Amino acid sequence: MATTTRATPEHDGKEANPLLEGLRLRRTPEPCALVIFGASGDLTKRKLFPALYSLALRRLLPESFAILGVARSESTTEEFRSRMEEAVREFGRDRFDEEAWERLAGGINYVATDFADEGGLDAVRDCLTELDESRGTRGNRVYYLATPPNAIGILVQQIGERRGASGWTRLIVEKPFGRDLTSARELNAKISEFFVEDEVFRIDHYLGKETVQNMLALRFANGIFEPVWNRQFINHVQISVAESIGVGSRASFYEETGAIRDIFQNHLLQLVALTAMEPPIDFTADSVRNEKVKVLRSLHTPGPKSVVRGQYGPGFVEGIEVPGYRDEEGVAPDSETETYMAAKLYVDNWRWADTPFYVRTGKRLPRRETTIAIEFNRAPHPPFEEMARGGLRPNVLLVHIQPDEGVSLEIGAKVPGQGMSIQTVHMDFLYGGAFRTALPEAYERLILDAMLGDATLFTRTDEVEEQWALVDAIVATWRRDRPSFPNYAAGTSGPSSADDLVGRDGRAWRRP
Amino acid sequence: MSALAHIDDWTGGDTTVAEIDRRLGDLRRSVEQEGVPDLRTSVLTHLAWVPPEYEQAATDTLAGLAERHPSRAILLVPEPEAETDGLDAEISVRCFSLPGLEAHVCSEVIELRLRGKRAVAPASIVSPLLIADLPVFIRWRGRPDFGSGPFEQLVELVDRLVVDSGEWADLPAAYAQLASLFDRVAASDIAWSRSLEWRRQLAGLWPGIASARRLTVAGPRADALLLTGWLRSRLERELELELEERPELERLAVDGAAVETPAGSRRSASDLLSAELEQFTRDPVYEQAVLACADVQPISA
Ligand SMILES: NC(=O)c1ccc[n+]([C@@H]2O[C@H](COP(=O)([O-])OP(=O)(O)OC[C@H]3O[C@@H](n4cnc5c(N)ncnc54)[C@H](OP(=O)(O)O)[C@@H]3O)[C@@H](O)[C@H]2O)c1
Repeated sequence: MATTTRATPEHDGKEANPLLEGLRLRRTPEPCALVIFGASGDLTKRKLFPALYSLALRRLLPESFAILGVARSESTTEEFRSRMEEAVREFGRDRFDEEAWERLAGGINYVATDFADEGGLDAVRDCLTELDESRGTRGNRVYYLATPPNAIGILVQQIGERRGASGWTRLIVEKPFGRDLTSARELNAKISEFFVEDEVFRIDHYLGKETVQNMLALRFANGIFEPVWNRQFINHVQISVAESIGVGSRASFYEETGAIRDIFQNHLLQLVALTAMEPPIDFTADSVRNEKVKVLRSLHTPGPKSVVRGQYGPGFVEGIEVPGYRDEEGVAPDSETETYMAAKLYVDNWRWADTPFYVRTGKRLPRRETTIAIEFNRAPHPPFEEMARGGLRPNVLLVHIQPDEGVSLEIGAKVPGQGMSIQTVHMDFLYGGAFRTALPEAYERLILDAMLGDATLFTRTDEVEEQWALVDAIVATWRRDRPSFPNYAAGTSGPSSADDLVGRDGRAWRRP
Repeated sequence: MSALAHIDDWTGGDTTVAEIDRRLGDLRRSVEQEGVPDLRTSVLTHLAWVPPEYEQAATDTLAGLAERHPSRAILLVPEPEAETDGLDAEISVRCFSLPGLEAHVCSEVIELRLRGKRAVAPASIVSPLLIADLPVFIRWRGRPDFGSGPFEQLVELVDRLVVDSGEWADLPAAYAQLASLFDRVAASDIAWSRSLEWRRQLAGLWPGIASARRLTVAGPRADALLLTGWLRSRLERELELELEERPELERLAVDGAAVETPAGSRRSASDLLSAELEQFTRDPVYEQAVLACADVQPISA
């Protein structure tokens, strides 16, 4: 046994390799370099590196792989590695395994540069060329733009101008993607000067969540739901994205954004699209996104009465006294930024006509919870109405996105004993209960998919533009009057006008 | 990650299936009364046929598995030589708490000792205890007595048979018997899963490996035979096996050239079994490997 034979990656073979049959249990991406712009930032530390580490631990990263961190802050590669190690230890979901970390860390590099400078990216290009040599990354690049939104245009230009001749290039763009339709279009136009749509991966990290993807499994892998998934059987839908935290250290960002741009424009509308979409013909990126965009197009602009905005004042959350939004550090004392919004939306198509989708999101609500509740029509003629404890309630299918990931169905059941007394009970499917494996973080799935070139879980140009068009229409009506903020106390479930929004229709919000 | 919250158990000598069923119900209700809701999640029923000499190993594997595969586990310990006939049972409901979940998640373990004649028709004991509609897996410890009553009955009952051919002495002859079952039950083999990373390495040698003539293995006989059968069936050529028996797969060479050792740590017995319990369909690549290794004559290295 003299020489050592080194395994070469699969695509080198000219003929199909018969040994691979049955072995492709894991999808591993081709060799590539991941360039993170904004490497000294919060997202890199809290989400990206913990996700990369979890992928490394499970051996899901390519055999030949390198990471290049880029930001203005001066730092050496060594310092950067050790900061990221700390981040992984602090924010990672897995136990810290020295060997797995070393495997990942060996490929980590850092370049300090200002990409607003002319030629600021030359150092990045040179380092990548060097990595192609030393790490075998073959000219394949994934650029992760984890920078403030205002830096994205210039970065796209600079990266585009330096595209190499060999290998593939993919661009991951963080949210927010623009701040209105015009800026989103400009950004899309800028991107399309250098990249084709297949190379662009716009992040909405909600789509990376297992439970959000489970909505598709629930609807399209089961025979019993789809027949009743329409206006004939569904009374209305409620989607809530509730946070108990305040604005924290993100005040300057949030002042510019507000709930409508931070959550409604992306997460909430994506959840509406997944709930309302028609079955895609297959699970390829374009089939799924074609169906989603049809829903977004069918959403009609809600009138002023169908939208509510709010801002929290001081109050108590989990027993702790917290300041109002205007008293938070970095927030203007007369700020008109909304920290809450609710809307009644209609999907104008054959399936959903006249079925309201009530959506709401807010900060400083009583608890953190994201749910989609499908409320069905009541039983038409229940013979035991008067025997029901607390009234006969309609069936509700609840999809818990977070926490307590799972699905539950509320049904009326007979209370044991004499007579015919009915009570609502929950039939639960809890993710953790059935599968007992911790759910992967959204960013793990998304980074891996982008490396594999699978865009199913990313938002396409037309989706983003439809979403902004709706937001712009709502914001335009807001400009006409001054809100009387604050209008809800921290720790309560939002402004009373939000209750009126559903109350007028004879309905009530579910308790968040 | 998850922590064992509580175990509740019951032991009964000379009992009946009806009694076991009733006691299980009692246990479930009693744990539910303790405030935190308990969920019995149902993914599959896991049977294990465990001759007494494998009891310890089986219990250890199960301990590592319970929190990953919440289901009902039924351990069958056959003692056909026992002086008296009877059924002894130990049952427990094990509840785990999971981060981010308010409820406990519980799995049930039923350990049955089949004494004397009670070991003759095990399927009739097990059938009433299966969870309705869920897939049934059996992990058969040791070499099955192919064709025997208990084995045949249980194979009829289950969806998947999991063996570890590394536990068998008469290789490769026993593979021919295993192969005769392929049309009746989906079979999988821990010895086969163990070699997964090595198979990936070998696959990486394509296309050079297409003309390989000899595989040299320092490792267990079963793993070596299966790897040879795999290469034979995939590459459609005769390939001889040079074997140096070792308790674990240590080294591989193709036509004398060493294959790079796969990186990463070895998977535990629980990890391996857990992975098998996630497979629900037949594995044609494994089946062909088994068929192709039945006549391999290893030469010693
Ligand atoms: N943080 C989160 O949890 C989160 C969640 C969802 C989406 N996002 C999105 O992700 C992006 C990044 O967020 P973040 O919270 O990580 O922001 P951050 O903490 O403010 O970090 C911004 C990063 O960009 C770098 N940068 C900015 N201008 C630069 C320039 N001209 N040249 C070189 N580097 C420059 C900064 O480097 P220096 O400071 O070293 O100059 C820093 O590394 C944003 O689009 C945000 O909306 C973040």
